[in-house]
Amino acid sequence: MDLVRHLRYFTVVAEELHFGNAAVRLGMAQPPLSQRIRRLEEELGVRLFDRSSRQVRLTEPGRLLLAEAREIVARVDRLRDLAGQGESEVLRVGVTPDLGSALIAALIAGFRDRAPDVRPAPAEMWSADQVIALTDGTLDVGLLRHPVTAPGLSFGPVLVQRPGVVLAETDPLAATSSVHLADLAGRQLVLFPREPGLHEETLAECRHHGFVPEKVHEAQTLGLVLAGTAVAFGPQVELPGLRWRPLLGSPLAWRISTAWRGAAADAAVIFGAVAVGVLKENAGMTDDGVAPARRVRARPASGFLA
Amino acid sequence: MTDLGGLFRAAGVTGFLHAVDLDTGAEVAHGADEPVVMASVFKLALLVEFFRQADAGRLDVTERITVMADRHTPGPTGVSAMADDVTMSLRDLAYLMIAVSDNTAADTLVGRVGLSAVNTMLAAEGLDGTWVEHDCRSLFASIVEDAGQEEMPTDPATISRLRALDPARTSRSTPRDMTRLLGMVWRDEAASAASCASMRRLLGLQVWPHRLAAGFPYDDVAVSGKTGTLPTVRNEVGVVEYPDGGRYAVAVFTRSYGTAQNQPRADAVIGTAARAAVERLRG
Repeated sequence: MDLVRHLRYFTVVAEELHFGNAAVRLGMAQPPLSQRIRRLEEELGVRLFDRSSRQVRLTEPGRLLLAEAREIVARVDRLRDLAGQGESEVLRVGVTPDLGSALIAALIAGFRDRAPDVRPAPAEMWSADQVIALTDGTLDVGLLRHPVTAPGLSFGPVLVQRPGVVLAETDPLAATSSVHLADLAGRQLVLFPREPGLHEETLAECRHHGFVPEKVHEAQTLGLVLAGTAVAFGPQVELPGLRWRPLLGSPLAWRISTAWRGAAADAAVIFGAVAVGVLKENAGMTDDGVAPARRVRARPASGFLA
Repeated sequence: MTDLGGLFRAAGVTGFLHAVDLDTGAEVAHGADEPVVMASVFKLALLVEFFRQADAGRLDVTERITVMADRHTPGPTGVSAMADDVTMSLRDLAYLMIAVSDNTAADTLVGRVGLSAVNTMLAAEGLDGTWVEHDCRSLFASIVEDAGQEEMPTDPATISRLRALDPARTSRSTPRDMTRLLGMVWRDEAASAASCASMRRLLGLQVWPHRLAAGFPYDDVAVSGKTGTLPTVRNEVGVVEYPDGGRYAVAVFTRSYGTAQNQPRADAVIGTAARAAVERLRG
């Protein structure tokens, strides 16, 4: 067996403590990953993970071997770097976590089809963090939300996502077919963390339509929505206890594009093309510029001159 | 699904409603074919015939007409409430008739257009449940005669004798007839395209915010309509246009159990019931 490769799988599973997430990070399917970890356990003669409970845990021997395994993997990487011939070209890709695992997996699968010689190394990062990583050179290409303040970055074609609203199923608005931003008045709002530009645009549009959130929470999960404390914006979700409804008139337009620094590498260009295809087909995003203009329909009784 | 009967009951009224998606024909009906008292909703039919006669060259909408002060029909708005002679064009009188339900403006147009022409048009369009019995002046004369007093009555016994509140003896329609007429205006079928556009503009300039419009309190939703009000009668027919292009004609006619002049719950339920119906059409 290729012991180093198996040890690399081990370190990633140990970091994620979740076979599915580790498989996504490694750009492979979960069954072969589980199989390879088992083979490594047979080879070493110890169980590395405790899979008896619902959660994956490192065993004591696993914990002891992890530091050693990391050291070996790092040394081999360094050896290959020094030899000037990495095992293969790696493309470090950043994606925003809210895209969801299915979409991220589709992106990676699409990229591997188009560029089999390049190993994608995806990482979930919010847009502000992607900008820092792209500028630092620790990320090759990002898939991020606009607007971002990023001198020196270049962007691929901009796609538009039209989010709806996620409500607790007990919210009276869950009984309606669509929700107007004005209907949300008096509610609290959950927004993604580390997306300053998106926050500002989203809140401005909310105010425009008469929704001033009582409080804005930054959170990665929908826990506060499930608890009935707040509402959130996002793509369609089907989760127990929650209801997704389209926003009347699609007032929010979230823009997303690839981003890179300097001249784009061939692999980054391929990733950009794959991303556009996947986001359009799997996430229903559309080309920028098709957003309908917001139109205020004047009424004599509520007009400013009345 | 919202129970329309329950909504009307909770507001202390009997309600009759028809809502139709102008593009798909999908509909919501609640007593939609029952005869109902039109009250000022008849001004919509008059508006349509006015513009048809203009299309036919039988009248000039820009013709200026003087309404003498001693010829004003009673009413709380527009020329009806003004103290002196008023000279304005026919189409501006049509504007006042729709925007503020000006009775004098309506009766002046009736003088030009003729009620029989309005009824002939309604019959020709197959709006068989709709009939305009009188102009505003004769409508009020019948109320004064039946009530034996000049003021609008609030006494239940008096109200029960009013011919003006009996669909068989006053201007009548059905919710379904009114959404059909509105659909014709919105689809440029009621008159020439330019005239239909003028009618839509006037209906959009109606000032009342407390009935149909109250159900759709959004900057990007347009509500156009015409109200109708008499003792125990609160009506509105109109069209609601959503920012995604959805267009819905809605007709709501109500009769309140109470006889008070102020009926805020009846006014409001016109909006909430219309909203529930549109929700159902969009659901």
